[in-house]
Amino acid sequence: MRYHLVMAYTIEAQNLVKTFTVNESGKGLLGAVKALFSTKKRIIHAVENISFNIGQGEFAGYVGENGAGKSTTIKMLTGILVPSGGVARVNGVVPYENRRENSKNIGVVFGQRTQLWWDLPVRESFEILRVIYRVSKGDFDASMAHLSKGLGLDGLLEMPVRKLSLGQRMRCDIAASLIHRPAVLFLDEPTIGLDVLAKENIRSFLRELNAKDGTTIILTTHDMNDIEQLCKRIIILDKGRIVHDGPTDELKKKFPHDKIIEVDFEREVAALPLVPELEPIRRDGKKMWLRHANGSSGLALAIGKLASLYPVKDLSVREPSVELIVRSIYEKTAALPAFAQGEKAAE
Amino acid sequence: MNHTVFGKFAAVSFQKEITYRFDYFMAVLNGFLYIFIFTALWRALYAQGASVGNFTAASLTGYAVVAMVIRISFSMDDTTIAQKVRDGSIATDLIRPVSFFMMNLAQCIGFSAFHTAARGVPILIFSIFLFKLNIPFTAQGMAFGALSLVMGYLILFMLNYLFGLIAFWVIEVFPFQLMKYGLLNLLGGSVIPVDLFPPFMKPFLTLLPFQHIFYTPAAILVGHATPERALIMLGEQAVWVFIMGAASLLAWNAGKDRLVIQGG
Repeated sequence: MRYHLVMAYTIEAQNLVKTFTVNESGKGLLGAVKALFSTKKRIIHAVENISFNIGQGEFAGYVGENGAGKSTTIKMLTGILVPSGGVARVNGVVPYENRRENSKNIGVVFGQRTQLWWDLPVRESFEILRVIYRVSKGDFDASMAHLSKGLGLDGLLEMPVRKLSLGQRMRCDIAASLIHRPAVLFLDEPTIGLDVLAKENIRSFLRELNAKDGTTIILTTHDMNDIEQLCKRIIILDKGRIVHDGPTDELKKKFPHDKIIEVDFEREVAALPLVPELEPIRRDGKKMWLRHANGSSGLALAIGKLASLYPVKDLSVREPSVELIVRSIYEKTAALPAFAQGEKAAE
Repeated sequence: MNHTVFGKFAAVSFQKEITYRFDYFMAVLNGFLYIFIFTALWRALYAQGASVGNFTAASLTGYAVVAMVIRISFSMDDTTIAQKVRDGSIATDLIRPVSFFMMNLAQCIGFSAFHTAARGVPILIFSIFLFKLNIPFTAQGMAFGALSLVMGYLILFMLNYLFGLIAFWVIEVFPFQLMKYGLLNLLGGSVIPVDLFPPFMKPFLTLLPFQHIFYTPAAILVGHATPERALIMLGEQAVWVFIMGAASLLAWNAGKDRLVIQGG
């Protein structure tokens, strides 16, 4: 990309806002016709005010709970959605104003839906994409050899897309997004629903793509292992706003002395008022994750208190994972006054 | 969009239609059924000595066959846009460096090309022999007719495109589709040639594009319209192609700001 010589960043988002107005539609013919003229509208604040810059060759994780605005941001950067406010640029192109121009420079993978032609063999989908992106036969063959090896596509190319397993389909989808060798790759939950081995294969391919080809990658995921293993930078989103943006390592250093205690109780425990030094950060049935802020000092005492005062079945002490840190960040912002007036959009 | 990409989209859509064999046989049967019903209807009416407009029993049968064959050949999948908005798969169309309008047009042409070749043409040939049709095909009629067919096709495509884009505003588009089918059946000319309508219908015919979809090309092809009249009709069609084109562009630009991608 020639732009990189003059542009500081590959992806720029400045004060991005996306508000959806949804007409409340009634049932049936009358309801649908009424909805056309109705003033009954519901406003959904999907993205409130988001700014970040991503440089060439970065591998950034874009993290947030369902409805936090991750997919909406990705869709504005890929030119599918038009922002309600703010500006975005990808390779110096404003995606929603020059959607087609932008799409030549980017690859996009939506984990939840395929971009391949459902009824056709994988190879034919790739051939259609070759024509669409005007890739020469020679370049295409070179790309395919590389992608086929990296993603293990042998034996899949002749199969119709509908017959592929989820993991196979995802590998093909990733290959499809890279046929035109884009400078930027957007991955929207590419590991969703995959088993450990399939995830690992995809991760190692992406790691190499970023390291060797210098492809700038934005990855949204719910799997913090994806982030820990791949992304040097993590952007955390909550309720349409960025609540953290920085190197993934630093996030861990933010809580250097923290210990996380994973506890199995005999029965469900709502709160631990008698052990205030252990802060509950997550609960899942009888399981609870507690944070001890002062490192090892006083930890043994706190655990002793916990075990004597509450029905502890089992417990283990560990270093905080990115997931738990992210979760504790959410808990903190949840305690603040609500930012949004409206509901959150489904991603 | 260059012609290779356009051709590719059309070819894929054509290929896809081939795979639905049962649908195909049912559709052929359906086409014949319609032609039998309408030709029988017109013949029965004229056997009673009725005389309507400037049609004879023979010319009206010819018109009915040609209009129905055009309708069959203009088969379009008019549910895809709304479906793609509804399930969010429109997102995968929009990440491509292709115009949404042109991509839909290419796919539509592939779809219709299949139905023309597999249903329209065989039904036409079969009907010509079966009904001993004597259609006065002239070189000029064919040339004007071909032009009229192209414009009629574009008008129908853009009509479907615009009704599809309604999905950007409302989730439930089926009621609008029903309204469209009703108007198309009544005013399109595939069932009743529009010059048989009483005078009070004229404003509806003039102010809406429907008559230029099946009636105009059919009337020109079977020589029902004089060459002078045909030229005027072609001019009117061209105006409608322009209006529908402008409406499609405006609707797309307004709609893309409103687009909501469903389901992630």
